[in-house]
Amino acid sequence: MELSGANTGVVVVNLIIWTGIFLWLLRLNKQLRDMEKKP
Amino acid sequence: MSPIASSWAAEVAAVFVKEWRCEFRTRYALNTLALFAFTTLVVTSVSLGPMGIAKAQGSAVLPVLLWLILLFSVAAGLPRAFVQEEESQTATALRLAATPSALFCGKLLYCLTLVMALELLVTPVFLTLMSLGVESPGLLAAVLAAGGYGLAVGSTLVAAIIAQARTKGTLFSVLSFPVLLPLLLLVVELTRTAVAGGIGDMGSTAGVVLPQLLLYDASVSVAGLMLFPVVWNP
Amino acid sequence: MKTLLAWLLWLWIALVIWAAFFYAPGAAENFQVPTSYRILFFHVPMAWASFAGFIGSAVWSVLYLRSRNPRHDLAAAAAIQLGLLFGVLATVTGAVWARIEWGLYWNWDPRQTSLLVSLLFYGAYLALRGAVDDPEKRARLAAAYAILGLVVTPFLYWIVPRITFSLHPEPVVNAEGKSQMSSDISRVLLASSVGFTALFFWMHNLQTRLLVLAERKSAGGDQGYGA
Repeated sequence: MELSGANTGVVVVNLIIWTGIFLWLLRLNKQLRDMEKKP
Repeated sequence: MSPIASSWAAEVAAVFVKEWRCEFRTRYALNTLALFAFTTLVVTSVSLGPMGIAKAQGSAVLPVLLWLILLFSVAAGLPRAFVQEEESQTATALRLAATPSALFCGKLLYCLTLVMALELLVTPVFLTLMSLGVESPGLLAAVLAAGGYGLAVGSTLVAAIIAQARTKGTLFSVLSFPVLLPLLLLVVELTRTAVAGGIGDMGSTAGVVLPQLLLYDASVSVAGLMLFPVVWNP
Repeated sequence: MKTLLAWLLWLWIALVIWAAFFYAPGAAENFQVPTSYRILFFHVPMAWASFAGFIGSAVWSVLYLRSRNPRHDLAAAAAIQLGLLFGVLATVTGAVWARIEWGLYWNWDPRQTSLLVSLLFYGAYLALRGAVDDPEKRARLAAAYAILGLVVTPFLYWIVPRITFSLHPEPVVNAEGKSQMSSDISRVLLASSVGFTALFFWMHNLQTRLLVLAERKSAGGDQGYGA
């Protein structure tokens, strides 16, 4: 399926959503690591 | 505590009287409210008044300004109602002496009278300075009453919450504005209708919106009565 | 078992994405730009998940007030945090879609506005948590505020939009109870909603466990769980 102008919108939306969730999970990961590190 | 059980209404009255007695000693809230309202009034009327707004634009913009003045004045002057108790440590005595619901209603009545006094001061001056004619003064009075009550009840509950937190000043605004926003949307709509007469902006009529305002007032009142004991008692 | 469920979730979402691009029809009426209607498969569930966070926080707040179990309080906080995340994503994707459909990123459409005000709520809740040091007091006050928020929100979501002109499409289920969308589209939308809701709860579970660990670790400390 070719990416027409309108469909890029859908792709952009997906990029936003999954990037946002991924960043959140990265943050969770960092918080866990910090807690494991503290004495 | 008196061995004679006070009736609930007497307790409410006692709290109410105490609030006003304390208030008259310092006149903090009255001064803050009046000063803030007056300053904002002057700013808006100097900026907008002399230019002479056309009636059509006026009825759209000026109701918003009126309620913003009321909202910010309340935010400036009302939170002290509870914060002062915590700071002067009279809160502990209150926790022992008063039933939570009576305390809430007493404070609410106090805040309500403050808001009504504020509205009585601000509205005529605002209408005069802006040369704003009102088509339905009855509706305006009803909106001011119901809307003012909504402001008071929401603010009383939020004030109780933030009194036990840090950074009380800004926190009150941060917490209360999302809660009061639906109220503001409703009252501005109704005020526009009262000013313009009949059908307000966006095609709704007072008959539809006023019940919603009253429903908001009722909902927040019930929520306040149920949540206040949680907030107040450790 | 839990791992299996997590993998199933991933599979489900992958399927949804596939279906959104290849199974659902190419274009749909009732939209200004019919070919980009697919955004609805992603934007709408995000908004619903955000709202689920809001409701969840109120539910956990009530549970906390009854049980005084700190875990319930932390679950409420986690729900708000995730509600904020999903809400921000819903707002941004909504703005992108608005730009495509209606030409502007922001239109003060009542639904856009209510979503924005919900974000204010989430922020306020987290600000409140940040301002109280004692964990029990914090839990109590936050719970009260979350419940107050839930009482007030219906006015935003359902009453105000009804009295104002809305750019959002009419309710999709009309008076006869039949959907105005084609069944293919409804199916994908439903599947997507299920997927995102499951995703929300999985992430919520992770977040809550993290908050519980952090609370235990700081031993009566002062974390505000700000977003």
